[in-house]
Amino acid sequence: MKKINLKNIDMTLYTEVLSNGLEIYMLPYKNKKNYYVTFATRYGSDVLEFTDINRKSYRPPLGIAHFLEHKMFEEASGEDPFTFYAKSGTDCNAATSFDSTQYMFWGNKNFNKNLEYLLRFVTHPYFTDQNVKKEKGIIAEEIKMYRDYPDYKLELKLRENLYKNHPRRLDIAGTVSEINKITKDDLYTCYNSFYVPSNMFILMTGNFDPLIALEVIRNELDSNKKGKITKIKKITEPIKVNKEKDVIKGNIEIPKIAIGLKISTKDMGLDDLELSLYLNMLTTIMFGDSSLFKEKVREKKILNGLSVGWENLEDISTFYIQASSIKPDELIDEILNEFNNITVDESSFNRIKKVWISREIRNVDDIEEMADSLYYDILKYRKVIPNKIDIIKNMKFKVLKDIVKKINFKNYSIVKMNKE
Amino acid sequence: MKILNKDLGSYKLHLINTDKFKTITIKVLFHTPIKKEEITKRVLVTNLLLQSSKKYDSRRKLTIESEDLYSAEIGIGNQRLGNYITTSFNLQVLMDKYTEENNLEKSILFLNEIIFNPDVDNKSFKKEKVDFVKHDLMVKLNSIKETPSGYASIKLGEMFDSKSPFSYRIIGYIDDIDKIDEYNLYESYLEMINTDYVDIFVVGDFDNKEMLTLIKKYFKFKKIKKPKKSYILKNRNPRLKRYFSKEEIDNSQSILAIANPVYRLTKYERDYALPLGNLIFGGGADSKLFKDVREANSLCYTIRSWFNKIDNMIIIKAGIDKVNYTKAINIISKKLDEMKKGKFSEDDINNVKQELINGLESLDEDENAIINDVISSEILDLDDVKTRIETIKKVKKSDIVKAFRKVHMDTVFLLEGVLDEEN
Repeated sequence: MKKINLKNIDMTLYTEVLSNGLEIYMLPYKNKKNYYVTFATRYGSDVLEFTDINRKSYRPPLGIAHFLEHKMFEEASGEDPFTFYAKSGTDCNAATSFDSTQYMFWGNKNFNKNLEYLLRFVTHPYFTDQNVKKEKGIIAEEIKMYRDYPDYKLELKLRENLYKNHPRRLDIAGTVSEINKITKDDLYTCYNSFYVPSNMFILMTGNFDPLIALEVIRNELDSNKKGKITKIKKITEPIKVNKEKDVIKGNIEIPKIAIGLKISTKDMGLDDLELSLYLNMLTTIMFGDSSLFKEKVREKKILNGLSVGWENLEDISTFYIQASSIKPDELIDEILNEFNNITVDESSFNRIKKVWISREIRNVDDIEEMADSLYYDILKYRKVIPNKIDIIKNMKFKVLKDIVKKINFKNYSIVKMNKE
Repeated sequence: MKILNKDLGSYKLHLINTDKFKTITIKVLFHTPIKKEEITKRVLVTNLLLQSSKKYDSRRKLTIESEDLYSAEIGIGNQRLGNYITTSFNLQVLMDKYTEENNLEKSILFLNEIIFNPDVDNKSFKKEKVDFVKHDLMVKLNSIKETPSGYASIKLGEMFDSKSPFSYRIIGYIDDIDKIDEYNLYESYLEMINTDYVDIFVVGDFDNKEMLTLIKKYFKFKKIKKPKKSYILKNRNPRLKRYFSKEEIDNSQSILAIANPVYRLTKYERDYALPLGNLIFGGGADSKLFKDVREANSLCYTIRSWFNKIDNMIIIKAGIDKVNYTKAINIISKKLDEMKKGKFSEDDINNVKQELINGLESLDEDENAIINDVISSEILDLDDVKTRIETIKKVKKSDIVKAFRKVHMDTVFLLEGVLDEEN
């Protein structure tokens, strides 16, 4: 077991890799009663096509990773995980994203048995024609629920217009007609290809003993075979946005807009973490709560609700802006005006660094927040970042200015949503 | 964790000492009996106070100051608690040992500035700032259908009893916005500051004496009488026949919302038997509603029931396809009847007892949960946590059945999604 000292926050993280490749990350707390545990596979909706165990190229229906997540809750015994965890008053859930699927439980009782159960249910699939059929109605309602949210519908359209080939242009849950095609054989093929120890990791935070936890994991999973690394079909995505402008209709009263900026990050000369920090810094200065832009458009009463974010892929990053506005065209002009006249100032840069460092420290109080943050790093960088606060402290204003020069602010896609 | 409740005459101070957090959390809570015609003003006042103050005359300057204080986060929110409306001002900031000396006091001063030193000229707020928050609220209220589930709850309340505070829209009313100007809004602000009941909560690792001095220094209110009106809502008499109502929406999913008022609950039933029963009925993924409506019949993705002790009400909500409307209601009614007939097991009871007990045992790990528990304890006169845990353990099946027999399925509302989209 390796010890990693998380600098500046006085915590020790323990890691281990089993001989079959399973990675384990443990962050025990001394002053908490609660624990939070997640068991994840690096498999999500980003995988469209792969070479299966019979070495054949295989393209399952869309939404299968998410469907699989639902179906892992079926047990041969008939007692599902919700029922098992309810006995100790423990909560459990699961989630599928573009690049991972995770199964988690959290509570303050029965840690060892609960952990043992998690390891067992995620490593023992039980799919039948009947239980696959049953799930279709449930997931169809889930898909419909999300599609009824205008903001979600708008984001989906923007993704479609930003990406030409990349699966990020598709809904994680798939479509109703695609999920209706899923069979139990599809599920087993995907399960056997991606739910193998060398493609998975376990992460836990809160109240537990790392030595005992490790022993439980070894007892359950040490003998599991490593599994073959599945070859995923690589998708090439052009830098150019797929479609520059679009107008859609939505069940709304106030118009909405979405703008996506797609940039190449190939020649930035920074590692992934630094790149992500600097890109975030740039758009926080430009569009954050204390930005001049926000003050201006609010005073003009052309901005209501604004959400922004980055999505970082290999060699490509995209910046998303979504907002409501009674004057959508004016708001779009203002945003494009920001793209064309980038101004960053050092005092904002330093102030935002201070905010980020404070949030890193504050995050430690919440075991779930902490698990989320570690999860993201493990998935993205394949390691934990023990000195994140130092990295933020060491950010240089000059580097930010250099990055600004390297970004092409002309490669964007705009979607407007009007009332139906 | 140690709680010291202190009556300072014009307000109650609750000092909650715990070494579990790196932050100090302060909540200043105003409460007053709710009046429908005053809600929109209250919403605008609170939004306005977050826009600017005398010293920081723009939202940007306010934000920069909070960032400079090592991200001292300020939040303001309105909530209905039974017969009352509450407005809370929250501050959360890292302890000085993680920032710099006096950062906490500066942050408290900042909170004080926002509450007591608004951006006012000649006994009125500034017109352009008021116009801004009016516009902002207008847009927000025009967009309420974007959250179908929230909209269905609002409509359900109005269908149940439009005269009861249960139906009041705590987000405000479009029709009231035009009647509001910078003058009457300022009067409304003064009324809140001068006549509302106030509680102040502080959670974190601090010296009680020092904190008491700080709070006394920065928070001064006029002396007012203690609340007389009960918080607990009394529902109108039950209908003889169930009331069904529908509204169409251009969505693909329909939201089913059901109001189930509860009558003549004893304190024991309110605090213990019915919360346990509701968890068995529709509390989560192991509940009767989830297992039957979702898992056995594939009718929905979400289904849940909530028991609101102060409102005397169980709400059920599910996201369904409109063709399954009747089937869903039939199953839900059947499940409700089964609760009344005691068709649930000792295992079911033990599971939800454990869930409630775990929650109480972990209460001190979340600042908001701690504060909310102190508030509910006062409003509902709850037993202390230890007694609650012991009492939960002793609740019998017959107690739950007896409490559930007081639940009446009264009003059914369907927000009917009429789009037929395959994808």
